[in-house]
Amino acid sequence: MIKLKLESLGHPTPSDVALSNRKEFASTILWLEDQKIRLYTIEDREKLRNIDNLNIWEEGYTKYCADLNMPPLESQCEQLTWILGHAMRLEFLDDPGLYESINSKQSQPQGNNKQQPGVQQNVQTIFDGKINVQEKEFIAGVRLLASKLKIPHHPNHLVQLEAVARVVHERLSPAAKNRQPIVGTPFPFDKGNDVVSPNDPVLDYPMRVLRLLQIQSLRQLQTQINETIVSVQNLTANPKTDTKLGKVGR
Amino acid sequence: MVVRPYNDELKYLEKINDHCWRIKKGFQPNMNVEGCFYVNERLERLMLEELKNSCRPGAVGGFLPGVKQIANVAALPGIVGRSIGLPDIHSGYGFAIGNMAAFDMDNPLSVVSPGGVGFDINCGVRLLRTNLYERDVQPVKEQLAQSLFDHIPVGVGSKGIIPMNARDLEEALEMGMDWSLREGYVWAEDKEHCEEYGRMLNADPAKVSMRAKKRGLPQLGTLGAGNHYAEIQVVDEIYDKWSASKMGIEEKGQVVVMIHSGSRGFGHQVATDALVQMEKAMKRDKIETNDRQLACARINSVEGQDYLKAMAAAANFAWVNRSSMTFLTRQAFAKMFNTTPDDLDMHVIYDVSHNIAKVENHMVDGKEKKLLVHRKGSTRAFPPHHPLIPVDYQLTGQPVLVGGTMGTCSYVLTGTEQGMHETFGSTCHGAGRALSRAKSRRNLDYKEVLEKLEQTGIAIRVASPKLVMEEAPESYKDVTDVVDTCHAAGISRKCIKMRPIAVIKG
Repeated sequence: MIKLKLESLGHPTPSDVALSNRKEFASTILWLEDQKIRLYTIEDREKLRNIDNLNIWEEGYTKYCADLNMPPLESQCEQLTWILGHAMRLEFLDDPGLYESINSKQSQPQGNNKQQPGVQQNVQTIFDGKINVQEKEFIAGVRLLASKLKIPHHPNHLVQLEAVARVVHERLSPAAKNRQPIVGTPFPFDKGNDVVSPNDPVLDYPMRVLRLLQIQSLRQLQTQINETIVSVQNLTANPKTDTKLGKVGR
Repeated sequence: MVVRPYNDELKYLEKINDHCWRIKKGFQPNMNVEGCFYVNERLERLMLEELKNSCRPGAVGGFLPGVKQIANVAALPGIVGRSIGLPDIHSGYGFAIGNMAAFDMDNPLSVVSPGGVGFDINCGVRLLRTNLYERDVQPVKEQLAQSLFDHIPVGVGSKGIIPMNARDLEEALEMGMDWSLREGYVWAEDKEHCEEYGRMLNADPAKVSMRAKKRGLPQLGTLGAGNHYAEIQVVDEIYDKWSASKMGIEEKGQVVVMIHSGSRGFGHQVATDALVQMEKAMKRDKIETNDRQLACARINSVEGQDYLKAMAAAANFAWVNRSSMTFLTRQAFAKMFNTTPDDLDMHVIYDVSHNIAKVENHMVDGKEKKLLVHRKGSTRAFPPHHPLIPVDYQLTGQPVLVGGTMGTCSYVLTGTEQGMHETFGSTCHGAGRALSRAKSRRNLDYKEVLEKLEQTGIAIRVASPKLVMEEAPESYKDVTDVVDTCHAAGISRKCIKMRPIAVIKG
């Protein structure tokens, strides 16, 4: 995926970026800042230019991450993915019209002018209008909550908020804490009879995870249906048998 | 029927691979599509022998051989894909038993044929699990068999112990398993683990004759005769540990209960009534078939629609019937072990229909099409992630319950992606007859058959012992051959094997 992103940004050697090498990572970051992101003026990029002296470079990089507002990400891979995504977003915003033709059909009608950058988003509020979800304080709160709960970053804080809600509901709510631990043999999800994409582990793994999530929500729905049936049965059920009616055939 | 010497007939048959043969066009007149059948070496011999016998000069009367019947079905209007014979195929009325065929719903000429569903509409198999093991049941198996026999009336002319009046029946025909749920005979989870959720929505009791209803009313909750049975079985072999665990089968020796039954006299009457109507419709619409037994009507004609609605009502009847027997089985077990069915974990693993016609969406030549799929002596076997299978089996594929012959063994298979492509998600249903009923009666002695069962340690209760030789293992193909063929051909996968320890039979 990183390779694809580098390729689309026009990196000269997208296949040769070895993530294990810190120096190469540094040079990729520098290339992105030089060519695409341009957050700093040329003079301010001095520290990042010290690829050969990694100590100075690290210092510059830490500041650079902070200036980019990058969320706290642990691995080098996650950081690069985030910066690449940021660079691509900037590239897109430079001239969104250029990519209009490859928009999906559904988003086209509304995508003409309204989605242009700078257009004010509708102000969304929650709690009877007491909280404006686009307020900086609110966003910062969501980000903080997410980092405390170790939820991965998402550019849209509202999506992240949904994830927070889900984790709280599933793991931290009183109902969840009192829930009996699940008994029985776990079903290893890569052992099913379903074929996903055996030759492409990159596709196979997330597909299986997505399908499991889908199955989980289906299971919830089915359980609700069963509960409803049982509550109706409490009113209607009255099974009867009458052995006098029985007759065994010849 | 075209009569040719056997060697000329063979020119129309081609072995595609170790487990599949192709029937080329021209084998029978007016074939719209090709036919095919799945066999292994032993079943192949039976199949070709049957054809050879029918080619002998002077051979008249009786059923056509299975291969010929597959080819005749391939000549019906509107058929798509191939006319498919499963490994357990044997001659039947019009369609062979073990033949599946799909018809394009968007083609106005497409037909529905009662012969393609069979007389025992929605005959099927249901499997209940328990948390008991063989050691718990062996000491009391005779009493348990007797208790089941007392609860579930069996045999020709038997009557059920669930009180019902005419109005109840009307409601049951319309609601299917929802009726059993409302009345409290079954659990909500039973519905979840039943093909079609135990109810065909297009059922219309008004399209069912008075005669059928009269025959059906007292028979609800009875097993019937013929090849129907209820068996207490023990898990003998687990081939696919993970899928088995999804079904609640953890170890060898676990006890399960298999119920094989259908819509009794009700379904038979619905089919008989429809055949009369369809002969008229064929004359009117000028539908020509190779065999008079292949009576059919256009799907969109009045007769076609009436049959589908009545068939759906009969299907609902069968589900209520199996549900009632589930209730009675749970009662029998609970009384025997002095506990509740809940504590015995007596959940329905699955419930399959192997005589039914259903509207399904399938890919034909790369395009999605709405088809009327006839399965006669053939079980639906949908692959993992198919939207029509229960959420619990989304990862394993649909469980396919294959009942063996009295006293042999039974299997649980799972559906595969390959089966979806090759056979419209269909696979075998049982052992499949090798000798006709009359022939078995002539060749076998019922006392010997019963003795043999006793020697193998199987408790047996039979309503009509003099008919038991019709169902003797010798009268059937070997179910293991049938299942192995399906597994090897890839149209379904072996999951669990069970052997019986007690049988009750009509």
